[in-house]
Amino acid sequence: MHWAQALRKYLTPITESVLAGVIGLAIGAVIMLGYGYDPGAAYVSLFRGSFGSIFSWAESLANATPLILTALTFAIAMRGGLFNIGAEGQLYIGALAAVSVSLIHLPSPLHLIVALLAAMVAGMLWSLPVAILKLTRGVHEVISTIMFNWIAHFFAFYMIANVLTDPIRGEKTISIAETSRFARILPGSSLNYGIVVAVIAALLVLFLLWRTTAGFELRVAGHNPESAHYAGISRRKQVLRAFLIGGVLAGLAGAVQVMGRPPTYALVTGMSQVANLGFDGIAVAMIGRNHPIGIIFAAIFFGGLMVGGRIMQFSPGVPLELVRVIEGVIILALAVPELKRIFHFVRKRFSLRRQSHGS
Amino acid sequence: MRIFRNKVAVLLIALFALVAGPFLGTAVAGGKIALVTDLGGRGDLSFNDMGFKGADEAAAKFDLELVTIQSNSGTDYLPNLQNAARTGDFDIIVGVGFLLADAMAEVADQFPDQNFAIIDVTWLGKPNLMEIGYEENKGSALVGALGAMVAAHNGYDKIGAVLGIEIPVLYKFEAGYRYGMHWGNAKYAEVTGKKADVGLLWSYTGTFSDIAKGKAATEAMLAQGAGLVYNVAGPLGIGDLEAITEHLEAKGRSAGPPFMIGVDANQDWMGDGHRVLASMMKRVDFGVYSAVESVVNGTFEGGVIILGPNNGGIAMSGKQDLADFIDFGIGGGAISESDRGRITDNWVAMRAAVPGWIWDAVDELAAKIGSGEVVIPCGWCADTIDQIRADYPD
Repeated sequence: MHWAQALRKYLTPITESVLAGVIGLAIGAVIMLGYGYDPGAAYVSLFRGSFGSIFSWAESLANATPLILTALTFAIAMRGGLFNIGAEGQLYIGALAAVSVSLIHLPSPLHLIVALLAAMVAGMLWSLPVAILKLTRGVHEVISTIMFNWIAHFFAFYMIANVLTDPIRGEKTISIAETSRFARILPGSSLNYGIVVAVIAALLVLFLLWRTTAGFELRVAGHNPESAHYAGISRRKQVLRAFLIGGVLAGLAGAVQVMGRPPTYALVTGMSQVANLGFDGIAVAMIGRNHPIGIIFAAIFFGGLMVGGRIMQFSPGVPLELVRVIEGVIILALAVPELKRIFHFVRKRFSLRRQSHGS
Repeated sequence: MRIFRNKVAVLLIALFALVAGPFLGTAVAGGKIALVTDLGGRGDLSFNDMGFKGADEAAAKFDLELVTIQSNSGTDYLPNLQNAARTGDFDIIVGVGFLLADAMAEVADQFPDQNFAIIDVTWLGKPNLMEIGYEENKGSALVGALGAMVAAHNGYDKIGAVLGIEIPVLYKFEAGYRYGMHWGNAKYAEVTGKKADVGLLWSYTGTFSDIAKGKAATEAMLAQGAGLVYNVAGPLGIGDLEAITEHLEAKGRSAGPPFMIGVDANQDWMGDGHRVLASMMKRVDFGVYSAVESVVNGTFEGGVIILGPNNGGIAMSGKQDLADFIDFGIGGGAISESDRGRITDNWVAMRAAVPGWIWDAVDELAAKIGSGEVVIPCGWCADTIDQIRADYPD
């Protein structure tokens, strides 16, 4: 009964997620009732706004594009048993690298490819010290990635205001050259061909994790470090793999955002068009169960939630602050199943380690 | 006095337009207007709240429904404007803030039959877009001159400016403030015969929303001996004032100096009426209101409108505005009605403590700016700010 097994394997998480989503929506409805807004009208706006028309679909997909990539950064580390929350900083560095490439002139497809490559390398290099600190000094990656996020944050501010600055408008960097931009898929919308890059990246990660030896080693190391060690799988190699591939993906996220997302095609002081995409990626990875295909759907859902949230401001007139609370509740509810699994896993590993120390 | 007289004239014109409007143009009672803001929303007691104030007043006056849309991130500007335009329901869509410029340029082309207006942007040139700019440099020169003279009078040798994100609009504030400070120094020496050498401490915080950064920057300036700090970052003024309040508390005092200088709104009522010496009022409310009014009157057209001291768009706060903005503060939930008397008394005492000749000097500068005798740098400062910093140094 192979097919029944396979069906159950996919049906359980989907049922869990749907249930969690319904609970999240219900809590959100209660909150809105408490503030005197009609939850029915609000949710109609939310869903019509996110997936009700071709334009809303386009906006949802545009929002999903960078989130797929930053979620993959988190997921690949998570699969290796590591908590990489450094996508945020690597994303800034990737975006800066992509902008820098517009300082030089190159013909059309080449310019775009060079910019993407530069962003990937920059993201990877930004991720490298974290791996080195972990391997040589035992610095926990949560601490070091948080610190590197802040370094990247202020470095980016400096670069925007002093080095890559637009000579006419001091608040932003020079714009990405026309030859290095992603074309729009649907004119008049924000959706651009950057999403193709994101989806290809997800498929490559899927292939890597489940169809290659390297991916197998990574998953074993994450699932059961003791048996991985026993099987002669190098921990050093897994840590480097998880962080460097993660850095490449996050760097790509930053590049895709500045090279594809209209209308500015530049980093603006405050970096509001890239800020938090790294952290949102963590939530997306949780909702998508740290699986590349799950992540694609989770990112589209997450992106849609943001787009629909805007429409809630129009029709029942829910203020943005409350919209964000509702979004947060729904996201949190959806992340609960995966969070539970991670806590369970950490506790099991902790108690195992205690046992082995005790004997 | 000149400013006051001009303001009366503007008020009369506005009043006439209000009364006559419905008979002159095609009134669209029962229509809808949309206000799209950048990341900041209500509650900054400054730039955005002034935008809302204008829209609220226009909506009430012309019986329109107001929909406000706040942006969650920089990627929201374009879709928020598009979503509003796509409904086709809005008589006008107003973007509040420089940061919406690129998105507005695109949306105005995409929806040529929709009326738009934008605050703080003056270079897009679209037939369906009213662009409203302000002469912040002129108002900033006035508070710069006032600041330098008051600081010197109180024995301080520095004044500060806490600025937001480094955008060309803010260069205008900085440039005017620098000019005013040098003018004030010269005037102080001329009147008192004592040398005044008040210098400038300035900091771009890179944010229009992180209040803590305003507080930190102000604390640093106070520690270096600043006699007052000019808030040029909307809500960060709340943090600036907190730093000043704590600085005074440590000395067992409540009233300044050191003072804050408010921005956009009249913020004189903040700090119990005696810690904000004056405000550089940039009437964003007036700009938004006029844009809506022009649509109601059928006189809307694309192009640039510059609001300044001569048409009531820019002014230094006076007593006539205080009562109005105490209402604004009460509306924002920052103070209550029972505070009104005390704030007004404190404010009167604070202003009376500044020698009369200083106020006269500020009026003199205002008159010279109005007549064109004094030219304040700069119109578009992005390419000249370095030169201005050299000409009017710290």
